[in-house]
Amino acid sequence: MIADNLVVDARTGRRATWGELVRHADPRPEPTAHAVEHSVDALPAVAALKDGGELLVVAAGRLDESLAEELRTDGFDLVAGDDVQAATSPRAAEDGRVWLLTSGSTGRPKRVGHTLASLSTVTGELAPRTWLCPYSPGTYAWWQVVTLGLGVPGQELVLVDPADLDDWVTPALEHGVTAVSGTPTFWRRTLMRHGAELRKLALEQVTLGGEPVDQAVLSQLGEAFPDARVSWIYASSEVGASIVVHDGRAGFPTQWLDRDVPGRPRLSVVDGELVITSPHHGTDASGAEMTGAVRTGDAARIEDGRVLVTGRLDRDELNVGGSKVSAGAVRDLLQSHPAIAWAAVRGRKAPLVGTMVVADVVASQDSGVTADDLTRWAAERLPEYAVPRRIKMLAEIPAKETLKSDV
Amino acid sequence: METLDRPAVRKLMGEVLAVQGKTLPADDTAKLADIGFRSLDFSELALRVEDEIGDELNFEAAGLRSIETIGDVLDLLVEIQGQ
Repeated sequence: MIADNLVVDARTGRRATWGELVRHADPRPEPTAHAVEHSVDALPAVAALKDGGELLVVAAGRLDESLAEELRTDGFDLVAGDDVQAATSPRAAEDGRVWLLTSGSTGRPKRVGHTLASLSTVTGELAPRTWLCPYSPGTYAWWQVVTLGLGVPGQELVLVDPADLDDWVTPALEHGVTAVSGTPTFWRRTLMRHGAELRKLALEQVTLGGEPVDQAVLSQLGEAFPDARVSWIYASSEVGASIVVHDGRAGFPTQWLDRDVPGRPRLSVVDGELVITSPHHGTDASGAEMTGAVRTGDAARIEDGRVLVTGRLDRDELNVGGSKVSAGAVRDLLQSHPAIAWAAVRGRKAPLVGTMVVADVVASQDSGVTADDLTRWAAERLPEYAVPRRIKMLAEIPAKETLKSDV
Repeated sequence: METLDRPAVRKLMGEVLAVQGKTLPADDTAKLADIGFRSLDFSELALRVEDEIGDELNFEAAGLRSIETIGDVLDLLVEIQGQ
């Protein structure tokens, strides 16, 4: 732990070093799940991990009764502020174990085990930076930023709760933020709402992750922050941070495929799916190491020497009257339109052809572009069956607490 | 539930073609093949009708039939609303 690194709570303006946070910590010998209202509330428990303990952090809003019951059955004491509900099946803590909740295939959260070391994937020296952490507490992305502040010299954090993200630029300016990590949805909302204000932020690092990253948003960020390095990261609870790209381009070079480099993940594309064998992977709920190649469920396609990760496989491929359409490719095209701030593309049940391509779109402010304009524009660039025939114009970019699009 | 009458469905059909720079003839006996109204266009029209009435159309209720003219399309889409 770097005791001198500073943490700022954007909501209250309170500042503390990790050294001060650990003095306020209440180390618990039992496995503990901390349900927190605010991102900053989880930090004393994170700091206390240096002395051992077993920890799971979850946003209070994500903890429903059934998850609470499940965690207590799995041996966790449930702590929310001063309220402690003891585990119904107590067990000894596994010192140093950190648990993350990820969306399981059934929709129920699934536990993935890590340690502070397996969550800290940054190697080498970093220039001193002040990071904005906008993520929901306990998510993989949140841990990535928090472990930077906890373990890398010169990395300070400004924590903003997801509920307060409509105006993150003001506290970022106030507290001298120089690096921001967010999902593409977070960045699109930001570019749409705070276009002019952003120029005042002296960002050195802009990072994207958590969702497919297309060229349009990378280019817009490059223009908004000409002095910043714009990077995108492919990471998940299961395989850790596996792909990091700094060249400002969507996708990664095909030369990275099927390469064996010690300490680095091995990347492959199998039947259109991204497959990763990672040194950063976690354990399953029983603590067993998840080894070997992981089928990520993310669609990947090769285009112009780059491997583009376009979206979830089960939602990406649409069948329109027997013709295959990549929803991600159509979305990327719509988002490359100069008047479009955000787009989501999906299939909709339709007669004769089974499925039709439809889209929800948010136009840039005052663009005046209509759904019919976009359909005509797309028709000039896509096969007829791939053109979104129904386009709904939304006023705002929808987003979940995870900062990912909720469409 | 709201339903669309024949002129309203005709108007939507005209909109589907207008986006493609085509015009819907006034004559209901005009052949779909002649005006370039194809499967994707029919599907789009069905979705437009569904959006207007706020309900999914039940094409199983249509039975076996031949759809060759503008009138055939309008008859079908008026008939299956609410079924």
